[in-house]
Amino acid sequence: MDDERIIELYFERDEQAVQETSGKYGLYCMGIAFGVLGVPEDAEECVNDALHAAWQSIPPERPACLRAYLGRIVRNTAISRYRALRAKKRFDGTEVLLSELAECVPSRNDVEEIMERKRLSELISAWLDTLPPADSALFVRRYWYGEGVSELAQECKCAPRALTQRMLRLRRRLKTYLESEGASR
Amino acid sequence: MKDNSEKMYDGVTDIRDDLVENAKTQNIKPPKMKRPWWTAVIAAALVAAIFAGEMLMPGGTGVNAYAISEATYPEMAQYPDEYLYMHADGSFDSEGFSAAFDPWFEDVQAQRRPDGYADGLEAYFKRSTEQFLSGAEGENVTYSPLNVYMALAMFAELTDGESRAQILSLLGAESIEELRQQANDVWNASYRDDGAVASILASSLWLNQDVEFNQETLDTLAENYYASSYSGEMGSDDFNAALQDWLDKQTGGLLSDEAGEVELDPETVLALATTVYFRSKWTSEFNEDNTKTDVFHTASGDVDAEFMHASRSASYYWQERFSASYMGLESGGRMWFILPDEGVSADELLASGEYMDLVLDPDGWTDQTYIIVNYAVPKFDTSSKFELSDGLKALGVTDVFDDAVSDFSPMTDMDGIYLSQAEHAVRVAIDEEGVTAAAYTVMASAGTGSPPEEEVDFTLDRPFIFVVTNPNNVPMFIGIVNNPA
Repeated sequence: MDDERIIELYFERDEQAVQETSGKYGLYCMGIAFGVLGVPEDAEECVNDALHAAWQSIPPERPACLRAYLGRIVRNTAISRYRALRAKKRFDGTEVLLSELAECVPSRNDVEEIMERKRLSELISAWLDTLPPADSALFVRRYWYGEGVSELAQECKCAPRALTQRMLRLRRRLKTYLESEGASR
Repeated sequence: MKDNSEKMYDGVTDIRDDLVENAKTQNIKPPKMKRPWWTAVIAAALVAAIFAGEMLMPGGTGVNAYAISEATYPEMAQYPDEYLYMHADGSFDSEGFSAAFDPWFEDVQAQRRPDGYADGLEAYFKRSTEQFLSGAEGENVTYSPLNVYMALAMFAELTDGESRAQILSLLGAESIEELRQQANDVWNASYRDDGAVASILASSLWLNQDVEFNQETLDTLAENYYASSYSGEMGSDDFNAALQDWLDKQTGGLLSDEAGEVELDPETVLALATTVYFRSKWTSEFNEDNTKTDVFHTASGDVDAEFMHASRSASYYWQERFSASYMGLESGGRMWFILPDEGVSADELLASGEYMDLVLDPDGWTDQTYIIVNYAVPKFDTSSKFELSDGLKALGVTDVFDDAVSDFSPMTDMDGIYLSQAEHAVRVAIDEEGVTAAAYTVMASAGTGSPPEEEVDFTLDRPFIFVVTNPNNVPMFIGIVNNPA
């Protein structure tokens, strides 16, 4: 079923919308959730929560791109759940991911404005536009889809170390970009 | 309360839909790198012979060249070839790799010296380069300030009185102790031998077995200058062959022809040989497919040359008479290209010395910008060989050449000895194909700033100056390419 039809089902308040979504995007959502949580059971619950959240938000929302919309809900749900679980147990993968992202934070005193969610995502999007397509995709695959370095390295047919270096350069570039954007305002 | 890493996570979450969509279909492999070129294979050798004014009486022991002491260089772990840590199933032995990488990295760091040790050498770099490279008249010439520096510093150890004072003055040093420390820093900061990069300064003393030398001075040279000593029968075929072999070995076979011609006369009391061997790749390779034949305008007409092409974000410098840019080397140093404006000769730039100010302190240069530079660099392989004696005299080092006033007392009690020859040979090639194994990974370079909005063509299609520096901007080699063909 195509995405437009699925979205119509949501608007018709037809619960088949959830089944269709689960059938078409369930595995994809699981992948993202598992990337953050690292435990299949937690990931499964997270996806269920996300599907429920989608059911509640469409309508009034009408996603232009259902795939990205769902992924975003899963990421938000997963990080909330991760935060709640963190006190009890840690998942190294996400710790690593977050510590990598921490490297992109501008080292300036007035980061408040730039770290505001909407502004930050606009800036990151604009920065991704400046990158060669392969680098932009790599960054999104790692930090949006949460894919592991070794899998990405395999796909690039390069050593993980080389990929790590490439990621490191990207993070430094993002940081520099955010700092220069913050400074220019 | 969210910490900044989670805010960043949220910021990434809300990036535009199309970026999320495209990421899954876009190939994430970086553009294919071609087989790298060896950037620069350079060797320099200097052989200086100290002569006795009168015929020495051979002792007739018949002992041929033998090593009295061999210099020991700092140990350096080999650069880890990460392909050796890839398993057949594509997984990576990161533990094993780290175990090899960390010692290597430590060894490289251990050789680094903080900036500033070469302060005071600026005038020497400028004056000596102008002295030795000017008046090339269409020939390619190369000079190694570092090689000559090491030889001069060692000569300062071998001499005293005015002979030493003249050398200290040329090198801008207050005392022999200061020079000794500086030379040791220069040596160490320039040293690297890890399989990926070679940058080796070697020195040796060739002693006449019939002369008694001051052991303390020889020890100082061994300890601080990493100099090996050999003793033997001056003028004998065996001793000459030993010196030639040493030179050939230390210069990676690049100067075989020149080394084969080096012979010492029986009257030689001591010969000092210093070499620099340097081999490094660019930090970013040239794509072989982009290399094209094009015209290079020499002073005497056009010739065809093979031009390597690359476009990348880089610092670009200019001044009213030249423009300049550099390419990073895996050695941690740089290769500078200084292009005189049309109508300006390389000699004029050598005389003004401003290019040297740029090389020594690029950060302090006013007229610079960070933009896309479209490089067109001709491949070349040049060698030059010349006698330094006249040039050194012109630079104020005169007494060591005159047996009436020279003072070699720290070396030996003999009187009437003098420096009879100082030959300097250099070969530079930047067109050699490298070892085919794509074994050495390009090291990470620092992130770039905002993307350049302009670009500039930097086409080296007329005579230009190049400078290869060590990690602290100390010029190791300087040359003029008048004709790359």
